[in-house]
Amino acid sequence: MSKPRRWALLTGAAIAVSALLAGCSGGGNASSGSGSDEINYALPANFTPNWILPIGTAAHLNTNNGSIAQSLYEPLVAYDGSTGKIAWNKAGSVATDAEFAEDGTSVTMTLGDRHWSDGEPITSRDVEFWFNLIKANKDQWGSYSEGKAPDNWTSFEAVDDTHFTITFDKAYNPDWMLANQLSHIIPLPQHAWDKTSASAEVTDADRSTAGAKQVWKVLNTAAGKIADYASDDLWKTISGPYGVESFSTAGRVTLTANPEYDGGEEAGIGTVNLLPFTSADAEVNAVRSGEVDYGYINATDMDQESSFTQKGYEVEPWTGWAITYMPYNFNNPDMGAVFEQLYARQAVQMSIDQESLAKVVFNGTATPTFGPVPQAQESDYVSDVQRDNPYPFSTKKAKQLLTSHGWTMQGDTMVCTDPGTSGSQCGEGVAEGTEFTMQVLSQSGSTVTDNMMSAIQSSLAKTGIGFTIKTAPVSSVLSQTPTCTSDEASCDWDLSFFGTAGSWYFPAYPTGESLFQTAGSANFGSYSNEEVDALIDATTTSTDPTKVQDYSAALAEDLPVIWLPSPDYQISVVKQGLTGFDQDSLANFHPAQWKWSK
Amino acid sequence: MTTTLYLLRRVLQALAVVLIVTIVVFCLLHALPGGPARGVLGVSATPAQIAAFNQAQGLDQPLPVQYVRFLGRLLTGDLGTSYTLNEPVGQLIVERLPKTLVLTGISAVLGLVIAIPVGMWQAARRNGAVDYAATALAFVFYSTPAFFLGLVLIIVFSQQLPWLPSQAPGGNTLAEVFQDPAGLVLPVVTGALAMIAVFSRYMRASTLENLQEDYVRTARAGGASTSAILRRHVFRNSLTPVIAMLGYYLPVLFGGALVTEQLFNYPGMGLLFWNAAQSSDYPTLLGCVLVISIATVVGTLLADVAQSLIDPRVKASRA
Repeated sequence: MSKPRRWALLTGAAIAVSALLAGCSGGGNASSGSGSDEINYALPANFTPNWILPIGTAAHLNTNNGSIAQSLYEPLVAYDGSTGKIAWNKAGSVATDAEFAEDGTSVTMTLGDRHWSDGEPITSRDVEFWFNLIKANKDQWGSYSEGKAPDNWTSFEAVDDTHFTITFDKAYNPDWMLANQLSHIIPLPQHAWDKTSASAEVTDADRSTAGAKQVWKVLNTAAGKIADYASDDLWKTISGPYGVESFSTAGRVTLTANPEYDGGEEAGIGTVNLLPFTSADAEVNAVRSGEVDYGYINATDMDQESSFTQKGYEVEPWTGWAITYMPYNFNNPDMGAVFEQLYARQAVQMSIDQESLAKVVFNGTATPTFGPVPQAQESDYVSDVQRDNPYPFSTKKAKQLLTSHGWTMQGDTMVCTDPGTSGSQCGEGVAEGTEFTMQVLSQSGSTVTDNMMSAIQSSLAKTGIGFTIKTAPVSSVLSQTPTCTSDEASCDWDLSFFGTAGSWYFPAYPTGESLFQTAGSANFGSYSNEEVDALIDATTTSTDPTKVQDYSAALAEDLPVIWLPSPDYQISVVKQGLTGFDQDSLANFHPAQWKWSK
Repeated sequence: MTTTLYLLRRVLQALAVVLIVTIVVFCLLHALPGGPARGVLGVSATPAQIAAFNQAQGLDQPLPVQYVRFLGRLLTGDLGTSYTLNEPVGQLIVERLPKTLVLTGISAVLGLVIAIPVGMWQAARRNGAVDYAATALAFVFYSTPAFFLGLVLIIVFSQQLPWLPSQAPGGNTLAEVFQDPAGLVLPVVTGALAMIAVFSRYMRASTLENLQEDYVRTARAGGASTSAILRRHVFRNSLTPVIAMLGYYLPVLFGGALVTEQLFNYPGMGLLFWNAAQSSDYPTLLGCVLVISIATVVGTLLADVAQSLIDPRVKASRA
């Protein structure tokens, strides 16, 4: 082939490739922006929406599925942080009032003048329908916890179409009952859903236990068919500001405004695209390419904040109503006796520099937390004791604390050399020669978590406490660090960490019955303290608001776990012009509140 | 041995291998401490909910019973339901596998179409400027991690020159994927560059080896030109090791390219497998293992058959 011909061919190929690239451009998700009636919202990395029924099992009722469901089916009481503080957002609720009996044993609620999208009114019967389904199927309900709703609700009585009374098994703290229990209720369209098979007529089947079980099964079976969400008539009767336009099994969801919505939170943007992402990196790339209107970046990207603002985004950290911690395994056959000693837990806590971790490791995207109540938000629940940090960072004092309790530094590690139960000895059950070493099974996959663990290892070493780090995916961490008794083989773990995105997100009222009460369902380390148990009971039953503060102070001092900085739920990047909302610290998103400024 | 008998024997061997793989994976999964319930249901799950989950999934049964049930369902085409994705595993594979095959298949074809002539060209002009340049480029792409290469492409073509989207097509069907061809360009190029780097080296080495053979010298003595020798004689013989490699590459085609899928937001088989492993989603893990092990034995089988078709010496050695 002659040279000119060869060059001509090369030039032609280059032009063809350029033309192809140019012709291809413009694909993908175009961002919307001000003046548009559409928005692209990035779902958390690796999350695929897969449920829209507002009742279901624990595997389905996660926060993001819940946010989508609540856009379709408005809750009775929206008790969340969407108004900038954690409170009852009446605009986003079906109920307009809740009147508790003076003795605290019942509540009478009032419904607004509201309608389903098919024109039928929303009545007490729709609330009773939810109540009957949950009562009959509580074991399968994801939000069920023994002794709590619906166990503590003894009866439901419809006063009329817009008023009903729920009676409790004893007197309860009205704030707790409203925020943590009644907020579970979501009126469901009885007139459309009360069927014992997909083809059956609507009856009052839910009023018998057997019928309610059948209805539950029908609804849950239908909810398992994701591909039918947009087409099945079952999902057309809605009460929320949005309906499903499309719902891909790959995770992309498009919601469109419900034109029949007559509540207080009318959709501000007509079409909401919820976009799934396979990784945080893929999402950040989409943000940088301008394909997302409301997304997120990694904490490590905070160094480049200006690059996002230059692209037209506001960087807005989204704090979570959460705490982060490492539970001790008090039943560990080797270290359990050491963990039982308050002075030992104090020495550990004093060896952790939360302020520096939050500032350096988390790039300022975490909040030091010194007790069981979230501290990233201002609230009346935090005690002064917790706020003031009873055990400030000091490895010197931590070391002194150990040496004054019978421990001696041998090599790099503290060893118990004076066993016994007097005030200056190691304490009950701690044998002579016991080395103060601990191993954490920590969540893998996060550079920030790895760095935090390394920093903790370094500062504990200064006190003479050995700290080794083992990592596993979060599901393995949870599986391998169960609640256990000392004679079980699975009880060989010392510390567990599953809090890369925060260990525990609270409902609106931050009580600790699951976490720190003896035999609480998420009390993995088997912490037990009778005084704390009584305080936790008081937070749910007493009308005295200071009880939560007492509980906060007691656990800030007693250290049932190692308190750690609580990371922000998300470092959001929001297109300039997207307004009208506060980021809900309960980690829900509320598309109806989003608006493009003109 | 006739070809039919040979193939029959290989198919039976393949079935045995797949069965053994499922037994090993099944045992390994269930040997993990704790079980999947807590990981799937989350921190706040109660003991009653965990017990109900284990009962519903049959995880409270002895391991042999669970395995026999798994095999029984498998015979009816039921791979179970994903713990985390709320979909039958069979359906998930049906959705993800074609997408993966499209991405990895186009990358492989593009890579081969470029790698084979480049490798031969380099061999024909070995130690020349072109050979050195192509070798250097191959080493660069071979040693560059796919995530970095993909990231560079995204920065250049999506962010600096906003010509192409940073995400692969998000559709769930092939029709939806092909509606957005622009989205396929960067992930395909990322995969193809690595493929070119690897296979051009194989092709170069194989061609060089063949160029030393007696039959090439004989052809030259007979007056055949270099290009004719390459086209008519060396090309086919040089393909033999490349085809063997391609057979081993088949599991990658089916298993998906995890890094590319993560980076370009393209939920395929690789990501399905990875996420299932991360979340202890046993049914999905077993389904993926089944697909990949079948692809592995089929790939090996196809490579052997193709080699025997191309190279009569291979067939003779089996006789």
